[in-house]
Amino acid sequence: MTLRSRAATLLREPLVHFMLAGALVFAVLSGRPPDPGERRIVVSEAVANRLVERWMQSFRRAPTADEIDGLIRDYVMDQVYYREALRLGLDQDDEVIIRRLRNKMVALAASEAEAATPTDAQLQALIDADPARYAAEPLLDFTQVYLGSDTPASRAAAAQALGALQGGGAADAYRQPAPIPATFSRTPASDVSAVLGDDFVAALGKLPVGQWSGPVASGAGLHLVRIDRRDPPPAPRLADVRQKVENDWRSAATQKAVGEAYVKLLEGYDVVIERP
Amino acid sequence: MRHKIALAAALLAGTMLTAGCDQIKQVTGGSEVAVEETEFPERVFWGDTHLHTSNSVDAFGFGVRLGPEEALRFARGEEVTATTGMKAKLARPLDFLVIADHAEAMGATKALYDAPRLLIRDERMKRWYDLMHEGPAGSQQAMAELLDARGRNDLPQALTDADAAAERTQSIWKDHLKTVERYNEPGKFTAFAGFEYTLMQGGNNLHRNVIFRDGIDKVGKVAPIDPTYKNTPDEIWAYMEAYEKSTGGKVLAIPHNSNLSNGLMFELTAPGGGPMTAEYARRRARLEPVVEITQIKGDSEAHPFLSSNDEFAGFGVAGWELNNLLMQEPKKNEMFAGEYVREALKRGLLIEAQTGANPYKFGVIGSTDSHTGLATADEDNFFGKHTGNEPNALRANEAQNLGTGKGRFGWHYLAGGYAAVWAKANTRAAIWDAMARREVYATTGPRMTVRFFGGWDFKADDLKGDWVRAGYKRGVPMGGELAGKPGARPTFIVSALKDPLGANLDRVQVVKGWVDKAGKAQEKVFDVVWSDMGGKRKAAGGKVPAVGDTVNVATATYQNTIGAPTLATVWTDPEFDPKQRAFYYVRVLEIPTPSWPAYDAVRFKVKLNPDVRVKQQERAYSSAIWYTPTA
Repeated sequence: MTLRSRAATLLREPLVHFMLAGALVFAVLSGRPPDPGERRIVVSEAVANRLVERWMQSFRRAPTADEIDGLIRDYVMDQVYYREALRLGLDQDDEVIIRRLRNKMVALAASEAEAATPTDAQLQALIDADPARYAAEPLLDFTQVYLGSDTPASRAAAAQALGALQGGGAADAYRQPAPIPATFSRTPASDVSAVLGDDFVAALGKLPVGQWSGPVASGAGLHLVRIDRRDPPPAPRLADVRQKVENDWRSAATQKAVGEAYVKLLEGYDVVIERP
Repeated sequence: MRHKIALAAALLAGTMLTAGCDQIKQVTGGSEVAVEETEFPERVFWGDTHLHTSNSVDAFGFGVRLGPEEALRFARGEEVTATTGMKAKLARPLDFLVIADHAEAMGATKALYDAPRLLIRDERMKRWYDLMHEGPAGSQQAMAELLDARGRNDLPQALTDADAAAERTQSIWKDHLKTVERYNEPGKFTAFAGFEYTLMQGGNNLHRNVIFRDGIDKVGKVAPIDPTYKNTPDEIWAYMEAYEKSTGGKVLAIPHNSNLSNGLMFELTAPGGGPMTAEYARRRARLEPVVEITQIKGDSEAHPFLSSNDEFAGFGVAGWELNNLLMQEPKKNEMFAGEYVREALKRGLLIEAQTGANPYKFGVIGSTDSHTGLATADEDNFFGKHTGNEPNALRANEAQNLGTGKGRFGWHYLAGGYAAVWAKANTRAAIWDAMARREVYATTGPRMTVRFFGGWDFKADDLKGDWVRAGYKRGVPMGGELAGKPGARPTFIVSALKDPLGANLDRVQVVKGWVDKAGKAQEKVFDVVWSDMGGKRKAAGGKVPAVGDTVNVATATYQNTIGAPTLATVWTDPEFDPKQRAFYYVRVLEIPTPSWPAYDAVRFKVKLNPDVRVKQQERAYSSAIWYTPTA
């Protein structure tokens, strides 16, 4: 039996008829002409389906007829209490209900932005507003000689080694052992940062291309450096950073939608702040 | 009419409207295919495998309001506003993040907090509701009571109601996966799907973090589960095996806080007693290839009771060595052996000798277990264990003992734990695979680079050439296994480079464990290379003298005028016996640096209680390399 046909059968169950009749009688006896919207509790096929589906998610089997009766009884009870509570005004001045409903209104306002798909032009505009944020990472090409911790002795060695290198010689005599490659080739800047620090990477940007210079300080100590190649800063391309821009767009769009929805609602009110 | 009912039903459902949408859109932002893997791991990737957000029952209860999206933005290096209102930013980004919210009662406290008070019938829940709405202090009290009830299996029925819990979990999980997918950027930042399986008996911590290799297409087919058995991991292992079988995906689990298990995490016997079977051992080793060795709630490498000859054992055990997690059963000395990782590695050898399989052949990582949504592990930028101890003047001195008034204080929390992974690319697949092959290490927060290779023919001269390539070609990296080679001794390439923003290194040690001729497990710590301070610091009687101390507590500063920026050597085991099964792992020690309470004291101008830890030697632990004699 499919869920749908089970629910359809359900609607023919005597208990359901009894409950519905009861609700109707209650409405009639209460003296007011029943507002069909307010005073009818309809357990439609869709509602019953939903109750059964939710139950099955938890219990991983179809409910028995008794269990379905129980689900429906509970649903009707929810509805009755909920509506009566509203009629009695129990929702008023309850801070939790106020906050809960505010949350739902915010979620409602946000849901459109959550589900919306931005156009390429919208995303491109975000990139243009802050290209640095979306730029592809620069790739670095350089050769380095590590001279050890930053001490007066290593500073002196740096001067001598630099002289040797600039004169076309080698600096192997000055090189200290370290698990740092002598040559970095097409290495993303963040990979260099992870080992030698951001300050070192920033300093590389100021060095001339093709000649030895330094010493440059890193987190590990002093280095002589030769920049082997430097490309112009890469321009961000939407195709490469679409997800990141879309995340930012969505986050901003949600905030904006919520703010605007509030302003629109606020316009319908006269707010009087009485000052003491 | 039907439409109206649908709307009413949606409003009545206890979840946010957006959560009602069941469709999971496959996000096509970045493709893993586009990211090339290198020939061998060239750089280490840093991450946290253990972060809680407002979806965790206790984190929300303690006050955190930051969800997964803020947590991911923060881990990627962006500035976010912490729950208590401060701006928070990492000194440098992480490369990956696993948000591991508790599967148990996922979103339950948030649901309780949002519920109409009128409808809360249970008296205890009403009390917790009121406490949570009172503010941070009330929230902490409520959580202390809730966790205590949890440890005694005495939670109110409404909180454990399977029906409501499953529905909440489903809706939170689906939203969560969508967020994770949006922030996963292959090649740049990896966001994993995962959850925490909070297995616990009587307050004894047997928790595991479950980490998926896959994306929403596979992980979306399952939901996190929470324990129904109370003392064995069989249920989560069956879940993991079923996931792999039904989706073709892959998943692993990382146990944590063995230091709070009262001896149950690494037992010599099967859980509950009786001999451990080879089948159990193999299953555990396959599904749990990594253990979290250090985190905010203490360090589980070695305890002085077990390792009395190791003067550096006992880092981060203060406070945590007194009780189990929920302080419901005091610790006895005989429990330590089942709690500390070095001992577990030794027990693994013993069990292997008897059954042929080693249940504890695991690698190690560190992680935070932060419940603030903020994965911080730096001493000078520590956002605390939970929102109640985000930076404030009192937090170091404050009692943190779940309302029992004894034993633990704020300063017992460590600002720590990161996972370092030698992966071939920054993708889910590459990082997960590196964890599965144990090519990982732990640090207590600083990001030092540590390499460790084992082989049979490494020479000191190898360090002059491309020794990383040599390490992979002629040996195995950390996490690997060496089979016997007649007539040869195992040699190891060991290399450490300081954190570029951190302290110099004191020394590098190799910790060896083995089973002797009498069938007893032994251990020994070797100082293999240390900063020799221009030849002035010499080993005497097998010990290297202390490195010194430049910490100025009054200003919370230190100087890199002692120690060395990098240390490397090729080491041969002088006591090698080819007939004895053994493991070797590396421990790297920094020079002393100020602790987070010392930074707090300067920042908030407060006086610390006299017993508060004000400085420490932070460290890295590598995964082991195992030697097994050929039969």
